[in-house]
Amino acid sequence: MNSIISVKDLTKTYKKVDAVKGITFDVKEGEIFGFLGPNGAGKSTTINMICTMLKPTSGEIIINDYDAKKQKDDVRASIGIIFQENTLDEKLTANENLKLHCRFYNVPKNKRDQRIQEVLEIVDLFDEQNQRVEEYSGGMKRRLEIARGLLHYPKVLFLDEPTVGLDPNTRAHLWEYILKLKEKEGITMFLTTHYLDEAEISDRVAIMDQGEIIAIDSPTALKDQLGGDIIELSTEDNEAALKEIEDKMETVEVKVEDDTIHLKVESSDAFISSFIKTLEIPITKLNIRKPTLNDVFLAFTGRKIKE
Amino acid sequence: MEGIIAIWQRDLTKFFRDRARLLGSFSMPILFLLIFGGGLSGTMETMMSGGFGEESSGFNYVEFVFPGIVAMTLLMTAIFSAMSVIEDKNYGYMKEILVSPISRVSIAVGKMLGAATVSTIQGVILFLLIPFLGLSYSIISLIQVIPFMFLLGAALSGVGLLFASMIKSTQGFQLIVQIIVMPMIFLSGALFPVSNMPGWLDVIVKLNPVTYGVDVMKKIMIDVDSLSQTVQETMGLHITVFGRTVSVFEEILFILAFAVVFVAIATISFKRAHA
Repeated sequence: MNSIISVKDLTKTYKKVDAVKGITFDVKEGEIFGFLGPNGAGKSTTINMICTMLKPTSGEIIINDYDAKKQKDDVRASIGIIFQENTLDEKLTANENLKLHCRFYNVPKNKRDQRIQEVLEIVDLFDEQNQRVEEYSGGMKRRLEIARGLLHYPKVLFLDEPTVGLDPNTRAHLWEYILKLKEKEGITMFLTTHYLDEAEISDRVAIMDQGEIIAIDSPTALKDQLGGDIIELSTEDNEAALKEIEDKMETVEVKVEDDTIHLKVESSDAFISSFIKTLEIPITKLNIRKPTLNDVFLAFTGRKIKE
Repeated sequence: MEGIIAIWQRDLTKFFRDRARLLGSFSMPILFLLIFGGGLSGTMETMMSGGFGEESSGFNYVEFVFPGIVAMTLLMTAIFSAMSVIEDKNYGYMKEILVSPISRVSIAVGKMLGAATVSTIQGVILFLLIPFLGLSYSIISLIQVIPFMFLLGAALSGVGLLFASMIKSTQGFQLIVQIIVMPMIFLSGALFPVSNMPGWLDVIVKLNPVTYGVDVMKKIMIDVDSLSQTVQETMGLHITVFGRTVSVFEEILFILAFAVVFVAIATISFKRAHA
């Protein structure tokens, strides 16, 4: 697959702070690319530079074969952006918001109406299109923003924390729309999110920390890299149990957090039956799971994503 | 071009939707017309007539002040329309505009034309008061003055755009604008002649674009030729810069240049802005 975004040695220095320290990565055409990192990692700075909103200190950004430094207008026409915050004109109706967008992006006049109806249908707002946006719920506004971002058929859709502030039900729905889009239109998606379970839908994720990209791969590969399974258990006497585990068993890693013991083992299938037989202290709770992106994130950055 | 129309049309749609703003913006000019037109006209006319004895009947203060108050309405509406730039920034819509491929000049020109249109409409609505004030301007002169009002509105909105690019809150903007707008009105000849100003004030008068705007409007609307030379002098209709009287053409040119300079400044500010 071809690269739709190609970033090379990109840096951004504010006065004396290096916000982005020479990062290099590619986004392939048609994939969902998850861009993760704790607050202040340099994510927003990177996205702003890719979207031509911020001038890089040095380095190269190519999007859809256009140079983000020199061919700003071509890059802007090639991308759609769903911002974290609301950027709709709430005094106007949904339809009016979309019409304005067509004009900003020079969508051919004879195609405007048809496209507006098309994107409204994708996000299920067809019947509400003549209401003013101020009457919309939070979820409807988000959907409208996504519809708007699609109007000019962008090559890449940037989704910056698209589900922040939405209730779980609406969040789930929104992801359905986004996946539907990817299947139907084959648009490349560049996604940032705080909810790591949501990032699981990405084909590849990059983890950024302190201005550098510290890991980049598919979620599965990253999880496999961590290796093994995770066993979480509580016992009647955690301290005694911990001592017993450390003395008698072969584990990769043992940690106590709150009143839960976390064990990392190479394979839970082989480990668990002998483990239960051996442990003398009664177990009150037991959970076996595969590593998640949260574990990946924790392993790479030493932090949870929200701190 | 398409982008300019989009920006222009959006500001216009929002103007017509906001009834409170539409009505509120008339309160000030009507108040001024009542105070200056009704209350002050007798006094002004007596004071002025001191200079020209028998000919005093030729000077009608309300006729003099009406174009000035229309110009004042243009100034206030044009500058306050530029506040939409700050609102767009605060409500996030400016991001939608800035990440789109529309050129930064188009944004500035669109905003300027939007403000010019809105202020011209407000100014023209004031024409409805003409019969009630006992004035009579010729229809032709009223039609002739409209394109000029549009130009003046565009130029003055440039001042608003400049402040809007520097100030982050709408409250701050309103405060600064009040401080700027009042001297621009009082030192323009809109409400009283400014022909006999002390030196330093005279400099401000001559740099103030409203001065030329008011002057051109008066020259179009009032049948100047029918007035005696003394009345024309008293009304301050002959503005001199460096000892020479400026022509209407030069005044229009100055306002046009003013508009171009400010649209250029606004463009630069939009180029720098990254949402």
